[in-house]
Amino acid sequence: MTTVDTAPAVAPAARTARAWRTLCSSRTAVIGLAIVAVHVVIALLAPLLASYDPIAGDASQALLGPGGAHWAGTDQYGRDVLARVLYGGRYALGVSVAATVVSVALGTVAGCAAALRGGWFDDLLGRVLDAVLAVPAVLALLVVVTALGTGPAVIVLAVAVVFVPQVVRVVRGAALAVVPADYVTAARARGEGTWSILRREVLPNIVDVVCVEFAMRASWVVLLISSLSFLGFGADPPTPDWGLMVAENRTAITVVPMASVAPIIALATLVIGLNLAADGLSKAWGVDRIREGS
Amino acid sequence: MLSFVARRTAAALGTLLLSSLLVFLAVQALPGDVATQVLGKDATPQAVAQLRGSLGLDRPAWERYADWMRGALHGDFGTSLVSGKAVGGDVAQYLGNSALVAVITILFAVTGSLLLGIVAGLYRDRWPDHLISTVSLVGMSVPEFVVATVLVLCFSVALPWFPAVVLYGPDATVGQLLPAVWLPALALAVVMAAYIVRMARTSVIDVMASEYVTTARLKGLSTWRVVTRHALPSALLPVLHVIALNVAWLLGGVAVVENVFNYPGVGKLMLSSVQNRDLPVIQAIALISAVVYVACNLAADLGAMALNPRLRTRGRT
Amino acid sequence: MTPLVSVNSLSVAYRSGGRDVPVVREVSLEAAAGRTLALVGESGSGKSTLAAALLGHLRHGSRVTGGSVEVDGRDVFALPAPELRRLRGRTVAMVAQNAGQALTPSMRVGRQIAEAGGDIPVIDLLDQVRLPRPAELARRYPHELSGGQQQRVALAMAIAARPKVLVLDEPTTGLDVVTQRGVLDLIAALRDELGLAAVLVSHDLGVVAHLADEVCVLKSGRVVESAPTRQLFARPAEPYTKRLLASVPRLDDAGLALVRESGERDIRPRAVVPGDAPVAVSARDVTVDYGRSRVVHGVSFEVRRGEVLALVGESGSGKSTLAWALAGLRTPSGGTMTHESGDLARPAQRRPMSLRRRVQLVFQNADTSLNPRRSVGDAVRRPLRFFRTAGGRAESAERARRLIADVRLDPALADRLPAQLSGGQRQRIGIARALAGEPDVLVADEITTALDVSVQAEVLRLVDDLRRERDLACLFISHDLAVVRGIADRVVVLRGGVVVEEGPTEAVFAAPRHPYTRRLMAAALEPDPDARPPVEVTPDWADAAQEGDVWTDHGDGHRARRWRPADTSATPDAPDTPPTSIAEGVS
Repeated sequence: MTTVDTAPAVAPAARTARAWRTLCSSRTAVIGLAIVAVHVVIALLAPLLASYDPIAGDASQALLGPGGAHWAGTDQYGRDVLARVLYGGRYALGVSVAATVVSVALGTVAGCAAALRGGWFDDLLGRVLDAVLAVPAVLALLVVVTALGTGPAVIVLAVAVVFVPQVVRVVRGAALAVVPADYVTAARARGEGTWSILRREVLPNIVDVVCVEFAMRASWVVLLISSLSFLGFGADPPTPDWGLMVAENRTAITVVPMASVAPIIALATLVIGLNLAADGLSKAWGVDRIREGS
Repeated sequence: MLSFVARRTAAALGTLLLSSLLVFLAVQALPGDVATQVLGKDATPQAVAQLRGSLGLDRPAWERYADWMRGALHGDFGTSLVSGKAVGGDVAQYLGNSALVAVITILFAVTGSLLLGIVAGLYRDRWPDHLISTVSLVGMSVPEFVVATVLVLCFSVALPWFPAVVLYGPDATVGQLLPAVWLPALALAVVMAAYIVRMARTSVIDVMASEYVTTARLKGLSTWRVVTRHALPSALLPVLHVIALNVAWLLGGVAVVENVFNYPGVGKLMLSSVQNRDLPVIQAIALISAVVYVACNLAADLGAMALNPRLRTRGRT
Repeated sequence: MTPLVSVNSLSVAYRSGGRDVPVVREVSLEAAAGRTLALVGESGSGKSTLAAALLGHLRHGSRVTGGSVEVDGRDVFALPAPELRRLRGRTVAMVAQNAGQALTPSMRVGRQIAEAGGDIPVIDLLDQVRLPRPAELARRYPHELSGGQQQRVALAMAIAARPKVLVLDEPTTGLDVVTQRGVLDLIAALRDELGLAAVLVSHDLGVVAHLADEVCVLKSGRVVESAPTRQLFARPAEPYTKRLLASVPRLDDAGLALVRESGERDIRPRAVVPGDAPVAVSARDVTVDYGRSRVVHGVSFEVRRGEVLALVGESGSGKSTLAWALAGLRTPSGGTMTHESGDLARPAQRRPMSLRRRVQLVFQNADTSLNPRRSVGDAVRRPLRFFRTAGGRAESAERARRLIADVRLDPALADRLPAQLSGGQRQRIGIARALAGEPDVLVADEITTALDVSVQAEVLRLVDDLRRERDLACLFISHDLAVVRGIADRVVVLRGGVVVEEGPTEAVFAAPRHPYTRRLMAAALEPDPDARPPVEVTPDWADAAQEGDVWTDHGDGHRARRWRPADTSATPDAPDTPPTSIAEGVS
């Protein structure tokens, strides 16, 4: 069998193209990514889309139901709910993306290194991360936030502390499945260094796991950050933020249900989008969800 | 087998010790002087110095850690900076109230989600699977405070079956709390179940595709027997650890839900002590959470041993 | 006599990407009581699908697109579920390919056998499959049994309800030769005792010749040829069958068999290694440990340039461990390993670059030896760049294409990913990658084990060509004596990390001196139903080597480890010893 039948594709471009094709073949992933994309676009274009200032209130317009001037009504301070929902994604997305990037990047490097080096390094890292995991995420976040304030940078750091151990676990598991493969052994027999093996042999084979991990972790981070805002430890009033909006308008839910329901819908669709993307990608790329634990 | 149990227990204790150290260091490393933080910026220097003395802040950190751990082993977590009472007793009271919610949550969430997950896995790609998968996806996409709010809207406002908020303090009796337990438990169970359902589904699908399940089918066994005897013991193995993690997660999850319902549990205590910077209470709650986490994981390990004869007979993972 | 099993122009397809992909096409066959029908074919021939179809089982996504399967007069695909369940086990039973995975890990084997139905006590069944101490064995879990024992348990499970038809899907693949022989003999005995109709699925023509009465050759889901065993092996009608038969290496080949398109075999005489050829690698008293257990006990050998030295042994013999030690992946705990340009007793990372590139390893499993995310050209280019055997980017790309051509592949394949290549092509790329370092020692670790027999013949020929062209010293590791026969100049037989016999290939095969070598040869299955065991087997023996007096010399470098006939109390090797050493993982 030495004949070549179809046109050979150039490797790196083909790789991306193939990843893209399999992605497109999964309806779930496409829908999920589309939902997320819509959220991103809305957040970016919020100043153009919203016809009211999300922060300035008008006491004479408080607690209005949905109507002509205010499509989604107003809250107890007379602020336009729609404008606040449109702007609300900025905080949630910005902080979540930054926090997820930091946690997944750190977790991937540490996880790969643990799988490849093994031995005492792996043991020690496992122990320390387990110890971090043992403290509930919410409590850890609360402590960091009370100590350092509620700035976005602090929240990113706090989320990274909470999520890096979980990313490490998943990536380490994925890398452990790659490390015994003969092509890694071949690189070892050539005498290649740890970083070279990591970059050339291991990372390309777990990049799909990392992508799925990113989407899934992002959905968790969004939930966690909104919970934090809801509890009053995240975004400071009067910042437009979904979690904060629910907290503010919950008591008036019977009067102006839209003021609570609109941010809930926004939040839920974003997380559903991320979860669908994670699900679709993992199925399309054959990433085993079982490894991911909870 | 014994060596496996011993090794796992030792590892759990090690994790716990490391955890306690981390908690202690994290709380100690909080910027600013603890005494100043507690008393506020306007406090007189004498008051600050006095508090420092009574907190033992003038002694080296390792000594304080040792003291704290020694006390903790005997159930003595110091005195609350806010109420002035013993932290141990306070926390125990709140913890008891939370345990009431937790037990109900776990009972509902674990049995329900396992059943649903197994059904979804067995009916892979058919309508029961699609239905269950979709519902669980929504369940894990909605934060606890939203579920809680929606539940209040439905079952307290629209249908006044359950109280929307608890009006009792931490010393309420079980009888007083019981009517208020159901909505928080349901809110937590929805979120918790979503993860277990998905995990159980994947695991069941994997095992049902294995060669030994095919062999069992080809032996002419009934589907019921194939599923219960051959598939489930192996399929439940990875789910065990997810359940353990979720049970441990409850301790954090209650913070939000208890806040919504004003339920006098450990989550509410956690929030108020963070707001008041009541450090001994925070430390105590963190340590107890770590104990719960480690205990859940240990239980899952031992459960895995019961399900997996490899672990039993060889004592290696 | 009416056939028990009759398949009438059966077609099976699975759906992929909205299309039906046929797996089995219009296959018809019959099997009668007391007879064995063998389904033979290479990978992708549809033989396993066909076997499962006899029990009315299809894989997820597959369906019958035509024809029928009748077992004991009933159409299995038309039966309602409860009746199909009764049919399975009681009328037709299956022994799956890999007993290690086919037994439920969380159940004791006794209970698994018991629930298969029938009135025969489990103990009797275990006794019937010749397992010692059945009462104790029944209480064990599958992982506590050796591979051979697991397969026997699977057999006991299959015959529990006294079925009329037994379907055996590659029943001995993955077992060591001696164990395989035992299981095959057991299957034949059970078939005769119980008057079963057996359907045997196998890729191994030796197994088929040994066991089958009729043979049905499959290729891409179609029946190519169907004939009584003796007739098929003596006078194959179809060119495909001829080629298949000719590709099987035999114990009496005096050199490498080259198979022509028409299916004739030409034996290429062995290349002559000049007497003054320099020694490329020499190992002296090498020992290797895994943790506290020693898997290689003082092995010595030399390989000269242009020579192929075969290391032969069963799993756990330490042969792969030795290969890894040479490649610098395992550090020996004792002894010396030297190359003409340096010390090999150090791990790869601490060998100088010039030495590192001169000893190269080719892996057993071509599927995992290439990075699935990198093009095969990349795989060959990397060592060129890493060892700096090629200069610039353009030069290394050009050199990689030439190397790919050197292993008889189209250089245009360089842009493909490994998944787009066949198993044989991948293995050639693995060899090209090893050649990129311009080695003078090639360590080939079971490189043909995972390949189909016709592809194996091609790869063997390539290795033989390369050592002639490049004057390579080749350490060829295999569990299969017949494979070694054609290619090796000298043979070293390993058992439990100890060399039991070594010598020139001709001498060892003509007159094996050590009882273990003889047992290996006797257990090897030739593709000939009338083959007699080439040697007498000494059933009981004991090691008699002593310090300073280890070898019995038979001249011309042929020597065997000292042994003596044993008193009956000590049996040196029970056929089924449970898996013990970690070394099995790499052996």
